[in-house]
Amino acid sequence: MNRLPAILFKISLAAILAFITLPLLVVIAASVSPTPAVTFRPSDWTLGWYAALWDSRWLDPFLLSVKLAATVSVASGVLGALGAYSVAYAKCPGHTAIMSFLLSPMAVPQIVKGVAIVLFLSSAGFFNLLGTPGLVVAHIVLTLPFVVRMAATAMFNFDKRLDRAARILGARPAQRIRYVLLPLIRSGLFSGMTFAFILSFNNIPISVFLVKPGQTTLPITVINHLEYSLDPVLAAVNVASLLFILGAIILFEKIGGFSAQFHGGSK
Amino acid sequence: MSTIDIELHSVSKKFGANRIVKNVNLAIPKGKFVSILGPSGCGKTTTLNMIAGFESPTSGEIRIRGTDQTGIPPEARKIGLVFQNYALFPHMTVAENVGFGLKMQGRSREEVAAGAKRALKSVRLEGFENRYPKELSGGQQQRVAVARAIAPSPSVLLLDEPLSNLDLKLREAMRVELKEIQQDLGMTFVYVTHDQEEAMAMSDRIIVMQGGAVAQEGAPADIYGRPRTSFVADFIGKSNILPISAVADAKTGNGSWRVLLGTAGMPIMAARMPGLVPDKARFCCIRPEAVRLADAAGALDEPANLLTGTIQKVVNLGAYLEAWLLVDGEITLKSMIRSSRLDKLAVGHRVELAIAHAAVQLLEE
Amino acid sequence: MAVIAFSTLQSPARRVLSVKTFLPLLAPSIVLTLFFAVPMGMMIGISFQSLDGGAPTLASYSRFVKDGLVLAGLGRTVVMSGLVAVCVTVLAYPLAYYLARSTSRWRTVVLALAIAPELAGVVLRTYGWLIILDDRGFINSALMWVGVIFEPLPLSKNLFGVVVGLTHVILPFGVLSLLTSLQGISPNLERSAQILGASRLAVIRHIVLPLSVPGIISSLLVGFTMAASAYATPALLGGAGFKVMATMVYEQVLFYLDWPFAAVMANVLLILMVGVAFIGSRLESRLNQKLHL
Repeated sequence: MNRLPAILFKISLAAILAFITLPLLVVIAASVSPTPAVTFRPSDWTLGWYAALWDSRWLDPFLLSVKLAATVSVASGVLGALGAYSVAYAKCPGHTAIMSFLLSPMAVPQIVKGVAIVLFLSSAGFFNLLGTPGLVVAHIVLTLPFVVRMAATAMFNFDKRLDRAARILGARPAQRIRYVLLPLIRSGLFSGMTFAFILSFNNIPISVFLVKPGQTTLPITVINHLEYSLDPVLAAVNVASLLFILGAIILFEKIGGFSAQFHGGSK
Repeated sequence: MSTIDIELHSVSKKFGANRIVKNVNLAIPKGKFVSILGPSGCGKTTTLNMIAGFESPTSGEIRIRGTDQTGIPPEARKIGLVFQNYALFPHMTVAENVGFGLKMQGRSREEVAAGAKRALKSVRLEGFENRYPKELSGGQQQRVAVARAIAPSPSVLLLDEPLSNLDLKLREAMRVELKEIQQDLGMTFVYVTHDQEEAMAMSDRIIVMQGGAVAQEGAPADIYGRPRTSFVADFIGKSNILPISAVADAKTGNGSWRVLLGTAGMPIMAARMPGLVPDKARFCCIRPEAVRLADAAGALDEPANLLTGTIQKVVNLGAYLEAWLLVDGEITLKSMIRSSRLDKLAVGHRVELAIAHAAVQLLEE
Repeated sequence: MAVIAFSTLQSPARRVLSVKTFLPLLAPSIVLTLFFAVPMGMMIGISFQSLDGGAPTLASYSRFVKDGLVLAGLGRTVVMSGLVAVCVTVLAYPLAYYLARSTSRWRTVVLALAIAPELAGVVLRTYGWLIILDDRGFINSALMWVGVIFEPLPLSKNLFGVVVGLTHVILPFGVLSLLTSLQGISPNLERSAQILGASRLAVIRHIVLPLSVPGIISSLLVGFTMAASAYATPALLGGAGFKVMATMVYEQVLFYLDWPFAAVMANVLLILMVGVAFIGSRLESRLNQKLHL
């Protein structure tokens, strides 16, 4: 009698987890299946679709997406650190209002931000900015608030007494930032930049308005194809870009060590 | 008709490779106030959780009112529990909190209300029925927690360090009150605490736990006056714990043992401990208040050791003086002496001391 | 002495500092003003433009409220978002409860499975659902092979397909909002209820559910707003057969080039979201007060 709710609970958990993982497994299976019909017979599996990825049809959008995400991540990191410094560390006058301004793009749905930017560029006569330059600024607008928030949280948590201790030991402002503040907020800033990278790399609702022929990101290229066919090469593209993202996260983690903040390393 | 409410038979609990509770045997008598006392990590809370049914023993058996509790979930054990941080339901009023247990039994609305009122009356917290927990002070929340636990009239109430979040004054007042509530209701209270004063003040019996096992069990006066191990002597009250080099049966007729203290082997008479093999004793314990000035009134009313000590340091604690005395050139004794004797206690003075034979307790380990 | 010297120094130093504290703000503020605030303002302005370049007009707004196709799209958006919000919350609740309470080593695995799909991006997951739900997809070919059906079931290019896909995409966010709320409920409250005689189900009903209502509201809110503004999943799983606001705005901008009307649609979407978020957060804070949390 008493066990029944517990068993039902476990079954429902398993069903939900199956629901979550099923599409991922299906895509992986599709990427190694020889025909568009997905097969789960390992003996038939092939890596042929992955070999087909070495083609400018896929490589060009991939490289564009990587460059875009890297640029956006670095730019948002720098701008976000500057903004967070004023708002959270120096506590400039009116810092709460300024913080709301820096975070305000989060309140606007991505598709609306996309419409606003494309209408702005088109009607203000910046047609030539469509394509890569437009993508860069639009993605910065998208990711900057997240970086500001993560960097600001790290700076709010920063113990001001450490700054005083450095000061009484003779450190000048630039030295205090270089040797005390930056090392302690580094992990917060890096997790923000990692997040910005992923957000930009996977973005669709903003990119869809700004791409132009020859300057198209990978996800947009994929959905353009998906509207017409379930070509297994698309599955291979998706799995490969997932692997790329995982690799990028590991790389960022190696450089920035952001997981330290989850283990209390920055406290 | 059983007079034992809760029995633990060789109960052990392992978490992974850690043995948190080791082969504990307990019998908690009906209607008594019993404390489980020990430092943090001694297994007392795990023991309580096993009695409540939140943890199940790795081996052994727990019986409540004579019934084996294996496989019986907490909600079916019909016992009360008061948590350290009270765990009052924040979304319910005081009356709803207190009535919750009765509601779960499927009682009618009137019965629930009446039961809640009765319970609140017994903790002297009437008129707060419609408040929310957040609107109450710490002491009032504490009373609500007790009222909620006793409202369904369980035969046993478990209390897990219920006073530790209160300030000192309130804590001392609540000790008295909890004891009164327990006596009024005639309920069995099992009280888990690390505070030895609290345990001494309220309990009929104290179970001292150490490292997952029961170190000693008995009435408070027993535990304080006749500690069996150096752990118990040290944990409960202040004490001088002195190494001994040998025990000789003195056969002086009054049943005392002759003990040699320290490396120099100063002879001293100690109380005979029934059940203790003299050769096993390595330490003895002397409470500071038992180290008295030989000229104090009544100091020599019973057989006593007479020693001479040199005063090394005196700290004035108000009502008492704490004095460190060097005896026989190598043994330092701490003593508690009435403040009125301050004139006798200048540093460097030699004083005559009396320590009753019965106040020198041999310790097992 | 030192204290006096410090306090007399402070006020002039502060004034210099306050200018310095603004300097770093310059770059991020310029970027956000130029590429967010100004475009948003312009978009609102454009929504009042008349197509022939005349005086500001409400023409595009009145067209919006009269256009049956667009209103149907708005209706579909609201219904779809509401369903997604409910599905996300219902599925996320058991997961979040498990994650909030479990101490077993499986917890990390479940957490990774629940959150990690977020890294995969929307396309991959939507593609997975396409393979599963398509007319020639997984479920239909299996059922037809077994002979249960002879015509493919309409599993995609409709409300059902979009709701399934979006629920999958948004589920991790629902889990996170519920997790925060459930972790705030002390396990001792549940234990208290249990020792007072409440069964597992009674504990959930009387303690866990009422105390997690703010989390439920925030999960519904996340589900609704994310679904209403999602583009890729409705575009792929809904297709031409199931158009929502997001896909219709896209068509207005890139195919019909009717910018004032596109701006109106974007504004309506924005107002819908801000409105829902506002009502939701008001509700949440009122409940938090009522629950005395």
